[in-house]
Amino acid sequence: MVSYIVMARSEFLRALERQMEVAEGALKEDQLLSQTEGWDSMASVLFIALADEKLGAIVSGNQIAQASTVGDLLNLVGDRFTP
Amino acid sequence: MGAYLAAIRSALPEGILDNEQLAGEFEGWSAEKIYTKTGIRSRHIARADECGSDLAVKAAERLISDTGIERSSIDYLLYCTQTPDYQMPTTACLVQHRLRLPTSCAALDYNLGCSGYVYGLGLCKALIESNQANRILLITADTYSKIVNPADKSVRTIFGDGATASLLVASEQPNVTGPFVYGTDGSGEANILIPASGARRRREPDAALVADDSGNARTVNDLYMNGSEVFNFTLRIVPDVVNRLLTTAKATKDSVDLFVFHQANGFLLDHLRRKLEIPREKFVVCMERIGNTVSSSIPFALQDCARTGKLRSNALVMLVAFGVGYSWGATLLRWGDAELSA
Repeated sequence: MVSYIVMARSEFLRALERQMEVAEGALKEDQLLSQTEGWDSMASVLFIALADEKLGAIVSGNQIAQASTVGDLLNLVGDRFTP
Repeated sequence: MGAYLAAIRSALPEGILDNEQLAGEFEGWSAEKIYTKTGIRSRHIARADECGSDLAVKAAERLISDTGIERSSIDYLLYCTQTPDYQMPTTACLVQHRLRLPTSCAALDYNLGCSGYVYGLGLCKALIESNQANRILLITADTYSKIVNPADKSVRTIFGDGATASLLVASEQPNVTGPFVYGTDGSGEANILIPASGARRRREPDAALVADDSGNARTVNDLYMNGSEVFNFTLRIVPDVVNRLLTTAKATKDSVDLFVFHQANGFLLDHLRRKLEIPREKFVVCMERIGNTVSSSIPFALQDCARTGKLRSNALVMLVAFGVGYSWGATLLRWGDAELSA
């Protein structure tokens, strides 16, 4: 079985930025997704893939649709992060 | 007596839609970015007057001519499509006539998308083993370009048109031996559908073009795909169906020579390959020049692997198909004589 990397919320955000091809530090937890550069349907697929690969969590698209900020997104898999 | 997959042939429309053209139409997307995110550089697109059946007839004529099989000996035609020529009559009936197959031949359409080829092989096995058929033409044909709105890049970048024809014959040395495992979850109804396309909601001639949050526009008469929900679905079911098949077959992942998954998109395939820890050299990606061809994607990939020598005689091949419905299925296939199959 694949073993998952233990990672902090900030590390996960940096990985998501690389996937989304936006600048490092571009994603901030209190930021509204609707005002986030590069956040679109493709980015939500990238988020699902990353959560699966790095954290072993399978997030649904409908859960993502409910999230309004970047922080809300991370909260969907919040229990998987290191404190 | 069992089913033997003897040959596969295919046909693509001449028209090509490449990433450069799409990048010109959709602001903010470069040709290279489309390739990185989809694994696709170009797709074939049917002419306005070209239907799935036209491509199907071309593929089947190639199959008949290359294998030398007598038309009169074909006793069953299975036709998998979601873009039939008409709501009625059955497209398989039109194709029987155009291919000059005998009137004693059975012919039927079955409506499945990306899972269609595995179901088709399962039906062929059952029909041959129950002595209902000896020589089956299994056709997959779709022209999704006709149901995709040009302003919807989420699906326009992915789907390509095409058709394949496979010949399955009754044999003492069958290679379509299974086992087959299947799955269905109709709760996915809303995530890949054409809302106004049948009896529940008739096509609406004056339907408005509506853009979503990502700027993709479509009407209720067009294909809609919720990419993130569909991605989630494949992550949930593909590892499970692979394991179920291996358990049922009492086989190990290492004993499989080649994995041929439905060619959904390059990003998803790469993710699934890594998740399942399948070595790159055993995992087929064959969509760069044709895109996602729905139920034709697996036979296109098999034909390509046979042609390029990646599929050797007696190779154990795992087929995994999944998509609209939701519907999925998987099987193991012992690849036959390369001369017939290439």
